Amino acid sequence: MDFSKITILSAMKKRLAWLGQRQEILAQNIANADTPGKKANDLVPLDFKRLVGRENRQIAVQRTHKAHLTSGFKAPRDFTEKESRKPYETAPAGNAIILEEQMMKLGKTSADHKLMTELYKKHMNMFRIAIGKA
Amino acid sequence: MAEIDNLFRSMRISAAGMNAQGTRLRVIAENIANADSLGQTPGSSPYRRKTVTFRNELDRSIGTDTVRVEKIGVDRSEFEKRFDPQHPAADPDGYVLVPNVNTLVEMMDMREAQRSYEANLSVIKASRKMLNSTIDLLR
Repeated sequence: MDFSKITILSAMKKRLAWLGQRQEILAQNIANADTPGKKANDLVPLDFKRLVGRENRQIAVQRTHKAHLTSGFKAPRDFTEKESRKPYETAPAGNAIILEEQMMKLGKTSADHKLMTELYKKHMNMFRIAIGKA
Repeated sequence: MAEIDNLFRSMRISAAGMNAQGTRLRVIAENIANADSLGQTPGSSPYRRKTVTFRNELDRSIGTDTVRVEKIGVDRSEFEKRFDPQHPAADPDGYVLVPNVNTLVEMMDMREAQRSYEANLSVIKASRKMLNSTIDLLR
């Protein structure tokens, strides 16, 4: 049985991937909270159409030998990032990252992640009940 | 699973942020400690305040942007003068140059560094919690 063929589970998997990537971006924002000229980034919100729609992923070239050159490119990401256009305030050095705002997003990401993993567990439990092993 | 990779990278980024804030705190400590470091001979300059700047940098080993200390520079502002004719560094008029360190500014900077450090620490904690709940799916 292929769990990724079950729509709800594959949607959850995508959502988890989105949350993971968002966590990374928030970590970047917070780490750069005092870097001159840095603006806050965020992920484009995940909508249902994207969730069930076609996958668009960049293809990374695999390094199979240590002599292969690494490109300076960033690791491929599944979801698109965007810079926040309207910063709440910008410091004189050009930094537009509000720590409070980022912490709020971080809290939400954590909560959503918890929700998703719990939901995943619940579904798995239902399968277990169905096969009579609960 | 890509998601776990992301979370590990988040922790690396936050660790880089903590590292940068730690360096900043070290420089602030140097400034405060040397707030009264005057010259020894007439006309010699006292301690000059140091400054830290951060830069957003691509970490090639993990393929993501992190932060690092760009450079530790010096504050080129004017020294203040204090009237103290007994001091070995006093000029013929009896004035001694004192460091351009403002303790109040340093304290404020210290608080800011502390807050940023705590924010990075919270991100690590949150990432670790998320990682744990993902691993818990295996149970």
